[in-house]
Parts: sequence; C-alpha cells; structure tokens
Amino acid sequence: MKKQTFFSVLISTIIIVASAEPALAYVLLSPRRRWATTPITVRTYTVGNSTITDGSGGVNATVSAIRAWGIINSSTTSSPAVRGSAPATIMLNTNGGICTSGCLAATLTGYYISQSGDDRIYDADVYTNTAHQYYSSGESGCSGEYDINGIMVHEVGHVIGIGHSNVAGATMYPSVSACNAGNRTIEADDRAARDNLY
Amino acid sequence: MHRRSLILVSLLLALAVPLSASQFKEMSFDEVATESQYIVRGHVVDTWSAWDDSHEVIFTYATLRVSRYFGEVAGPDTLVVREVGGTVDGYTQEAIGFPAIRRGENVVLFLSQWEDSADYRIHAFNQGKYLVRQRQGFDVLVADPVKQGDERLEREHHRFEAEGVSALTIDEFAAMVDAARAGRPTAGIRQMRD
Repeated sequence: MKKQTFFSVLISTIIIVASAEPALAYVLLSPRRRWATTPITVRTYTVGNSTITDGSGGVNATVSAIRAWGIINSSTTSSPAVRGSAPATIMLNTNGGICTSGCLAATLTGYYISQSGDDRIYDADVYTNTAHQYYSSGESGCSGEYDINGIMVHEVGHVIGIGHSNVAGATMYPSVSACNAGNRTIEADDRAARDNLY
Repeated sequence: MHRRSLILVSLLLALAVPLSASQFKEMSFDEVATESQYIVRGHVVDTWSAWDDSHEVIFTYATLRVSRYFGEVAGPDTLVVREVGGTVDGYTQEAIGFPAIRRGENVVLFLSQWEDSADYRIHAFNQGKYLVRQRQGFDVLVADPVKQGDERLEREHHRFEAEGVSALTIDEFAAMVDAARAGRPTAGIRQMRD
C-alpha cells in the first residue's frame, strides 16, 4: 500500500470512528412491559423529605424533574401511594418498608403477563430511604448528599419500563455518587429506550 | 502475605457485585460483612410467594438449608429468607434491581433480620448474594447477574462457565469475611457499581 493511500485510509477511519454514534445499550425491563397510554400519570406525595431544605422537601423539584422524560403527566397528590393500584406515586418521606440500608430509592412495579406478549404495567411506586441525606435543584451547594432530582428521573425511568443501561453517562446507568447532579437530564440512550416503548 | 492480600483484593474487585436497583449507595465488602447478622452458604430448597397482610406487597419466601456459617456466628440449619417481589395469581410485583431468589440455587448470602419479623433478608441487596458454581473441580462464588426486572433467561447463569468470569473460591471468601469481621480491613475495597 502506498504511503498516501495508507494515510487516506487512516484519516478516513479516524473520522468515521470519531463521528460514530455511541453504542446504545439500554435495557428494557423483562418481560417487556409498558403503560397502556401516554402521557403516564406520576404523582408526587406532598409530604416531602425532611433532609431537603428547599421549602417543599424536594416535592416541587421532583415534580419538575421527572418531566424530563417528555411523556410524564406530573403533579402532586395528597394521597400516599397505594401499592397495586395506579397512579404511579413517588414517596419522598418513606422507604415503604423495602428501601433500607444502602438503598437510596426503590421502584416497585406491578404487571400481569399477557398471552400476546404485550404486557401492561398496572402500578409503579417509588420509595425513598429517609436514612440518607438528599438535596434538590432548589438548594445551593452540596455536601455528601444525593441529588433527589436525578434519582427521581432515574426511578421514573423504571416506572415507565426501562431497566439499567450499560452506557456510562446515561440516566439509567445505575451508579450514582453523592453531589452528582448529572442525572437530571435524559441522554440519547435513555431516549432510545423510551422511544422503543412508547 | 502481602502478595496473597493483593491477590484476594484483585479477585474481590473483579468479583464485585454490580450494584443495581433502583439506586443504591456504595458499600464496601467490609461494611456488608460486618453489618450482616449471618453469612451463610446454603441451598434453596423451596420458594413461595404471598401478599403481605395489608395486601400491598408480594413477598417471596425461600427455605434455605444451611451447610455452612462464615465468620464467628452460627445459627440454625434452616432459615427462611424473605425478599420483596413475586407473583401471586398471575400478578407480579418486582422491586427493580433487588435480588431474586430461586428454588434450587446454591448460594452464599449475607443476611440480616427484617425489623418486623423473624425472617431474614439479603443484606445490601445484590451485594449480599453470590451463586456457587463449579469450576475445574472447585466451588467458586460469582455474582448473580439476574436481578428483579432483568432478563429472565437461564443463559445468564451458564455464561459463568462459558466465559470464565472472575470468581472467588470459598476459602478465599471465608478469609475475607474473617478479616472483615475481626476488624482487619480488606484493603478498603470499594465495591463497583454497575
């Protein structure tokens, strides 16, 4: 191969690799399931988290944050979650008896297996471990706390039927560290998962 | 000794259980080991699922026949492990990313007691569960890749043998537990998250 040809191939390869879309590796919950209609109603219980000092205990921040998915009808509710019954409800003030120890937040979903393979989600509720410290977009600064906005955007990804992604930087990537507010927006991988379902 | 410690640390890092779930805070092996009431090896001889009394949560119960206790604490030959999630009358509840427990599994579990009953739960969620597999004639521990909400294909279980994922021998695991519970830090390992 001539030197000029070699460099042409090399440069072309570099350009192709550099411009390639990142591999999408989202994972849907298995068996695949989704809500029957969109927008999906998600309510946030008005009793907030006592560690969040933004005036609403993170309720207002959560209501706003989860709209990042673009298919969520988000508002508050004065009724706590009723498991096994819609609408999906976010509880910032209780671990629901299930999210303890190292758990920051947990999503409990319910569904029936259908014969057609098109399973429907009947309920999904989110619980928060009140043993940990959180902060919201309504506060300034962070010291060893976990970002409630990002956590709830991630949890609502589970609510709508998405599992964990292997793509670092995706909101559905399961890792989270204190003072990391990177999950407040959804990324290409998350959008691809959403668009697969709805 | 130093070399052996390095090997154990390397193995444990490679074996580190991917944290998934809903979302979890990172816990070190030492934390998980010291916080657990029991650390056991056993066989899941039976499982069943039922609603709780208020008909809000489905729990899956597992009868675990214990063959070995790790660390300084021992207990009964049989334990009942209860985990959130399960199927009753065709309706399935799942706590996304929480550990699943299945009949016939050979496991090593870190256990703590539920606050409201005498049942036990897997401590630190999926960080507290390992599957026992055979490799080249030895029993080894591998992380369980199939959690609630994950793909329910058995091929995941066979992947361990096929691809030779990292594993820890029972003796190496026991040494790590002993060190952690004796207050000798196992190199301050931080479990990776998936």
